[in-house]
Amino acid sequence: MDQSIRGPGFLKLFVNAITMRILIVEDEKSLAEEIALFLRNEQYSCDIAFNGRDASEELAANLYDFVLLDIGLPDYNGLDLIKEAKNYNSEAYFIVITARGELDDKLKGFNSGADDYLAKPFSILELHSRIQAITRRKFGQSSSIIKFGSFALDISKLQLLHQETPVNLTKKEYDLLSYLVLNKGRVLDRLQLVEHIWGSFYEDDFDSNYIDVHIKNIRKKLGEFDQSNYIKTVRGLGYKFEDA
Amino acid sequence: MLIKPIKLKNKISIINALTKVLIIVISVFLIPWIVNRVSIKDLDNQLIENLDKTYSLVEQYGIEEFIKQGGDQQAFGSYNIFKEEYISIEKVTDTTLYEEIDYSRRTIEGETFDYRVISATIESQGSYYLIEIGKSINSILAFQRLIRKFTFYFLLVLMAVTILFELAITQYLLRPFGKIIERLKSSNHPKNFNYTPVKTSTADFKDLEENIHGLMRKIESAFNEERDYISNISHELLTPISIIKTKLDNFLNTTELTDEETEKIIESKVTLGRLTKMVRTLLLLSRIDNEEYLLADRVNLNELLAGLGTDFQEHFEQKNQEFELKLPDQQVEIQGNRELLHILFFNLANNAIKYTPDGGRISVHLNLEKDIPVVVIQDNGIGIEEKNLPFIFTRFKKFQESGNNFGLGLALVKKICDYQHFSIEVYSKPMEGTRFVIRCK
Repeated sequence: MDQSIRGPGFLKLFVNAITMRILIVEDEKSLAEEIALFLRNEQYSCDIAFNGRDASEELAANLYDFVLLDIGLPDYNGLDLIKEAKNYNSEAYFIVITARGELDDKLKGFNSGADDYLAKPFSILELHSRIQAITRRKFGQSSSIIKFGSFALDISKLQLLHQETPVNLTKKEYDLLSYLVLNKGRVLDRLQLVEHIWGSFYEDDFDSNYIDVHIKNIRKKLGEFDQSNYIKTVRGLGYKFEDA
Repeated sequence: MLIKPIKLKNKISIINALTKVLIIVISVFLIPWIVNRVSIKDLDNQLIENLDKTYSLVEQYGIEEFIKQGGDQQAFGSYNIFKEEYISIEKVTDTTLYEEIDYSRRTIEGETFDYRVISATIESQGSYYLIEIGKSINSILAFQRLIRKFTFYFLLVLMAVTILFELAITQYLLRPFGKIIERLKSSNHPKNFNYTPVKTSTADFKDLEENIHGLMRKIESAFNEERDYISNISHELLTPISIIKTKLDNFLNTTELTDEETEKIIESKVTLGRLTKMVRTLLLLSRIDNEEYLLADRVNLNELLAGLGTDFQEHFEQKNQEFELKLPDQQVEIQGNRELLHILFFNLANNAIKYTPDGGRISVHLNLEKDIPVVVIQDNGIGIEEKNLPFIFTRFKKFQESGNNFGLGLALVKKICDYQHFSIEVYSKPMEGTRFVIRCK
């Protein structure tokens, strides 16, 4: 099962080599293309619509697994687009992107069938992590255990096990560890880690050294079972998870 | 001079009552006086007539008919039976001829009578005689008193009735006005304004209401425009930030970079993070200004404040700071907006941590003072200089040479306190620490 976490793109194997098809609906061409570039690197198949009309046509013509929808489209009410799309793409998952960053909007989003919500500016790694989370929900529990060394990370139960013994991690520690594990081999800088565990915008996301405390605690807790150094410090930059 | 303002309907009632009192006072004195004048005038005419009759009698029969020359009696007098009138003729030595009418009080057989008396002197056969004809005015005076009494009571009753009537009428007429004012008072925001027209047939009120509605709609649309504007601005700003951020992420992800290069990219991301935070905080401030947050949650302060310990656990650990939390035994709940309250205490705690050196102490206390929850957040950090204290809640005011201070955090704290109707006080001494006291009224 170790092969199930073979770095970026492992998700493809994760879901039996099905290529996920994603529609990006974003009026800002540069942003849409940047997101597509990243997702294609991650072996997703991406289409882009720059306005609501095109998106509507694409949704009627193709089946998508994910729709990444900027709610602030110039020609379309994004929420209407979700309702409309559910007619053709009832299986599609909607991740709504908004620059309004409001709880009210968020709830509105969920009521109208959005499955997740990201506030601009978001990190594409965070976006990826949301896509992965939904994919895991979609494809059931069998593939939701990731093993490294003698540990097993049960993503559906939000738990780390060491040979059937639960490792006592706090919620933040678990979130950090799973984020690192899911981005195995990739350097995550402190900002990205902070953004993942906090998300809330009023946090000082630029003063991120305190993340070191969590990493230290996680290492200590893992070290009680296994002396291997899974979380590597990349000097001054951040951290990287590597299977020993 | 300061006079407490009085409601219009009360003013009208007071003025009405005052004018009525004035009318009563005037009437009670004036009507009897007029009656008196008229009666006296009439009486005078009768007296003149009688005098004329007496003249013609004297002329016809001679004065001897009344006074015998050289007789014992040098005077003639006659009263009628009830002494209502009398006539007297007497010889006088005064030789001036005159006629006059005047009042005169006489006491006859122990009874006092007020008379209207006409006196005249005539000359007859070389002698002068004074003729006096008097008529009692007792009946007139009695009548006058009666009139005065009657007028007084009549007007008193009339006044009571009309005042009550007018009070009811003004109440009724001014009710639409009261309603218009009530609606203005009760809507603290144009979007909550009740636009259903108030029922009235008074043109002034209709005008007033229409004008208020017009103004309200203008304010409301200005508010809406402002909100849209802020929403659009934030969208316009956050989208380019998002593009840069995504590009930097992609760049880091796909390019082999040296540590120095990577560090530079991360520094750019940190700067971008600061920019993002600023835009979002400004957006939040404007949203509070626009009253977009409902104060509808029941928020447990014990839980909220205890949550700070968990929220900042890694900060305390990293800076080796001691965190002291003191909560009352009972659960304290307040009405408000959960998100805003969280931001409020989160910002204050964050501030305390930021401005307290390693190894310092942060304490959060919740007390009840006369049932008012009081939150005290205290640190033993670097403090604030006294000259800077008045400005700490001002936007973008920056005092310390710390790159992390945008001068927005405390402005937001103040804004939330105002919005929640909390009072906030700050006590601080440089190098000793800062204490924020928030009373959740």
